[in-house]
Amino acid sequence: MSQMISSGKKSAGLLSNENRRKITWVLFLLPALAIYLTFMAGPLFDSLRLSLYTGEGYNPTKFVGFQNYINLFTNPLWREKFLGAVRHTFIFFGIHMLVQNSLGLLFANLLSSDFKGRNFFRTLIFTPATLSVLVVGFLWTLILNPNWGAVNKLLIAAGLRQWALPWLGRENLALPVISLTSVWQWVGMPTVMFLAGMTGISDELLEAARIDGATEWNIFWKIKLPLLKPIIGIVAILTFVDNFNAFDVIYAMAGARGEPSYSTDLLATLFYRTGIAGEHPVGIPNMGMGASIATVTFLILMSGVLLWLYLSRRQSTEA
Amino acid sequence: MKNKLFVMLSVLILASLVLSACGTPAPTQAPATEAPAATEVPAATEAPAAEEITLTLGSWRVDDVAAWEAINAAFHEAHPNITVKFDPTNPPDYNATLRTQLETGTGPDLFFVRSFATGRELFDAGYIASLKDLPGINDNFTEASRSPWATDEGEPYAVPIIAVSHGIYYNKDIFAANGIEVPTTWEELMAASQTLLDAGVIPFANGTKDAWDINEVVMMQLIPSNIGGYEGRMAYLNGERCFNSEEMVASFQQIADMKPFLPAGFEATSYYDAEQLFAQGQAAMMMDGSWSIGAFEKDATDFEWGVFYPPALEGKDTYVTFHIDAAIGANAASPNLEAAMLFLEFLESPEFAELLGNNLPGFFPLTKEVPTLSDPIAADFMAFNNAAAGVDIRFVWEKLLAAPSGSVDAYTSLNNNVIAVLKGEKTPQEAADAFNADLAAWYEPAAACK
Amino acid sequence: MRGLKLNQALSYILLTIWSVIVIFPLWTLIINSFKPQKEIFKDPFGFPKNFTFDGYIEAWKTGRFDLYFTNSLIVTILSLTLILLVGSMAAYALAKWKSPAANFLYVFFIAGLMIPIRLGTIDLVRLIKALNLQDTIWSLVPVYVAMGMPIATFVLTAFIKELPGEMFDAAKVDGASEWQIYSRVVLPLMRPALATVAIFNMIKIWNDFWFPLVFIRAEEARTVALGVSLLFGQYRTDWTRALAVLSLAAVPLLILYVLLAREFIKGLTAGAVKG
Repeated sequence: MSQMISSGKKSAGLLSNENRRKITWVLFLLPALAIYLTFMAGPLFDSLRLSLYTGEGYNPTKFVGFQNYINLFTNPLWREKFLGAVRHTFIFFGIHMLVQNSLGLLFANLLSSDFKGRNFFRTLIFTPATLSVLVVGFLWTLILNPNWGAVNKLLIAAGLRQWALPWLGRENLALPVISLTSVWQWVGMPTVMFLAGMTGISDELLEAARIDGATEWNIFWKIKLPLLKPIIGIVAILTFVDNFNAFDVIYAMAGARGEPSYSTDLLATLFYRTGIAGEHPVGIPNMGMGASIATVTFLILMSGVLLWLYLSRRQSTEA
Repeated sequence: MKNKLFVMLSVLILASLVLSACGTPAPTQAPATEAPAATEVPAATEAPAAEEITLTLGSWRVDDVAAWEAINAAFHEAHPNITVKFDPTNPPDYNATLRTQLETGTGPDLFFVRSFATGRELFDAGYIASLKDLPGINDNFTEASRSPWATDEGEPYAVPIIAVSHGIYYNKDIFAANGIEVPTTWEELMAASQTLLDAGVIPFANGTKDAWDINEVVMMQLIPSNIGGYEGRMAYLNGERCFNSEEMVASFQQIADMKPFLPAGFEATSYYDAEQLFAQGQAAMMMDGSWSIGAFEKDATDFEWGVFYPPALEGKDTYVTFHIDAAIGANAASPNLEAAMLFLEFLESPEFAELLGNNLPGFFPLTKEVPTLSDPIAADFMAFNNAAAGVDIRFVWEKLLAAPSGSVDAYTSLNNNVIAVLKGEKTPQEAADAFNADLAAWYEPAAACK
Repeated sequence: MRGLKLNQALSYILLTIWSVIVIFPLWTLIINSFKPQKEIFKDPFGFPKNFTFDGYIEAWKTGRFDLYFTNSLIVTILSLTLILLVGSMAAYALAKWKSPAANFLYVFFIAGLMIPIRLGTIDLVRLIKALNLQDTIWSLVPVYVAMGMPIATFVLTAFIKELPGEMFDAAKVDGASEWQIYSRVVLPLMRPALATVAIFNMIKIWNDFWFPLVFIRAEEARTVALGVSLLFGQYRTDWTRALAVLSLAAVPLLILYVLLAREFIKGLTAGAVKG
């Protein structure tokens, strides 16, 4: 009898234990979920719905089904702008991925060993990240100015007058140049994250490799890099997501139209111009179209992230 | 371990407390300028018991804070219970911010309204109060001034306040040193530019980095003389002329003519860079708007300078671009609509015109009775109007901006094609053809021009 | 040994070159803010010959920087604290709760990173108005906390998943509750990841001017980013003042960063992920 009761109690206890754990997890998630749903996910996902509507202003009311999407891909004007923005966004992201993250890896490797002045350099590399884009944009526009900028003055002084170009005025130059400005500002981010990863690699391991006669070059490629894989993955996906929505630096240095002649127009500036500000000088926004641009951007990003999640999960089960 | 995070946080919090402690004794800056005006006028013209009302005035004119504070102080003097607070937003953000505020019911009581399609759309959406009952609006302004902010039936919804003019600012010292007189034909202007270039001076400071200025202050001040002002423009709007007519090609040709005379890196020279090139005496001329008088009076102090109107091609008459630019409307949802209407009435007064014209040289009041302008350059700009065969607004503003989604409006098309000519991608004829094709695609009267 | 020396020399050279590239623009900013307008254009990169404080005096008189800084600091610190607390709790659950619901929520949180936030502006302004928070700095906090959630849950969940499982098992054997494991085991270990999240969000929040622009009209509630963008627009043609305004915006955060940099980088690198 007592045994039965106790066993009965036990099974009930197990069930409620399960439930209790569930409740615990829900309680852990609740505050974040509540704030996120109310102040971000709700408004955002609600606004994606607008891509099915047309009309002037921010709250278009005329339902048109998928017409906005059809226009985006079939109207030659929209298609040209949109595909241009996609291409520029990939270039912008690619430059960050290659240049910013390689530089970050290089700096982290240099800074991970102990030497005099290390703290100075560590501090300095991250410094531009604390500046507002307004400051960064203004400064680099000044430095790259064709009439009185330092870059062209230096080039002319070095006898390279033919290289003193209007950097921000040429269609094939402006996007790479602005991307590099952005790299200048943000390179501290991957540096610090890689540095954190490298500090975690045990000194004995590196010492042992050095005693075995491995060069620094080999140590970097054969030991450090493989151990950094998880961090490289996180840095890569953050670079992807961050730069795919990049807006500020283009707005500050090339305006909402992505001057010159839309050559620096990114998905985010196209969205802003279409859905929020409207084309100069009319300034009447087309939020339905804007929302459909945002939705397509979202789908591109989401597939990238899901691919990343899938790959990283497969890797962790393999390992 | 955790302590350091706390140390970091507490340092930050401490810093913020110290700052706020420093901050609190400092009184508000903005009202300080208005307060004396309030106390100096002891006897109110209104009933002293009147309720204190503060109106906000939204605007894109961030540069003009001081002038508008003076204007608002004058209004406050006449209506001591009403204070108007000038609250500008940077021009690139103005449209989006205003719309957000209007759509969510957080808009300013009064705000600057852009002309034609932009303002009209806000009125149709119900955000701007109708002014059909505002006393004096029909008497104090010409129909031409009112129409950019009125329905087709003539119902007004904003009080026109500002027109701007255009011209060529020139460095008198450089002109004199090179023996150049103010040119009277386009051909003379180009010859003078060649002389300057040969002498190692940049003839024109203008660039294309910001794109809008080459379109609005260069191309659109050249067009009127080529097409014959208002009547000429109407011929395009009615479909009597196609947008690639020889007059339009001639305008694009003038842009091509100017190319060798622009700064070496003109593609990356912004509007503000161009102004500095002129103000620092590095460029002999700049095509710019009257709104820049103030900036040049402050910066261009090392030499004598003046302004002339771009001369027409040999044998053509000169028409001036005098653009009706801004009006002020009242927020239909404002709880203080009555007070807002009082302010709009004040905008019709000679007192306001006087204050505007002389506090903001280069911004011309639109009241029928024009005050004497004390600024000599502003007076010169006004003199262009009188000397010209005619005066008109910028070419594309009326009707040609309202392109349906998925087609190119005239502003954007003109802008793209002007830049294409400067880059050498299109000949003037090709540019005019492309401009015509863009408009024929959607603008009914031009449909036959395909 | 010789190889090491060569490596070190190369390190110094590379780092010095980069330092020059970093310092030069900042030098340009600060040095020119002390020059009269004309000198900026005649000699944009030299030391000021006619030293002037006019830009700063004028900017300080027109803008209320003390107030702007206080507002920005309060908003940033409050938002960051909430992001770290709420985000780390959620991340712990997302990493350790093995269920489809958790997987779904993880992706749902990350999805927020992928839609331009301005899209939701109208709904947000309505919400802030309904809560009667407009024209106050408090309107910004919930929006920034929500904006911080995707990055916080993403980085922190990834981090917790990397932590060795034995640690949790050991704590569980000792009879610790989830809450105790979170606060005593996970939180202290998470410091480097928390620092990453904090710095990511701090920069975004400090420099954001869109939400202050649409939520706030009262001067009393302006943040540095908003105040600076307005003053900067006003001084576009007056470079001495424009540069002074930008310096006023940049320098305090720079000083704060330099003062705390050692702590920050130490916190970030100490006890990092063991690869």
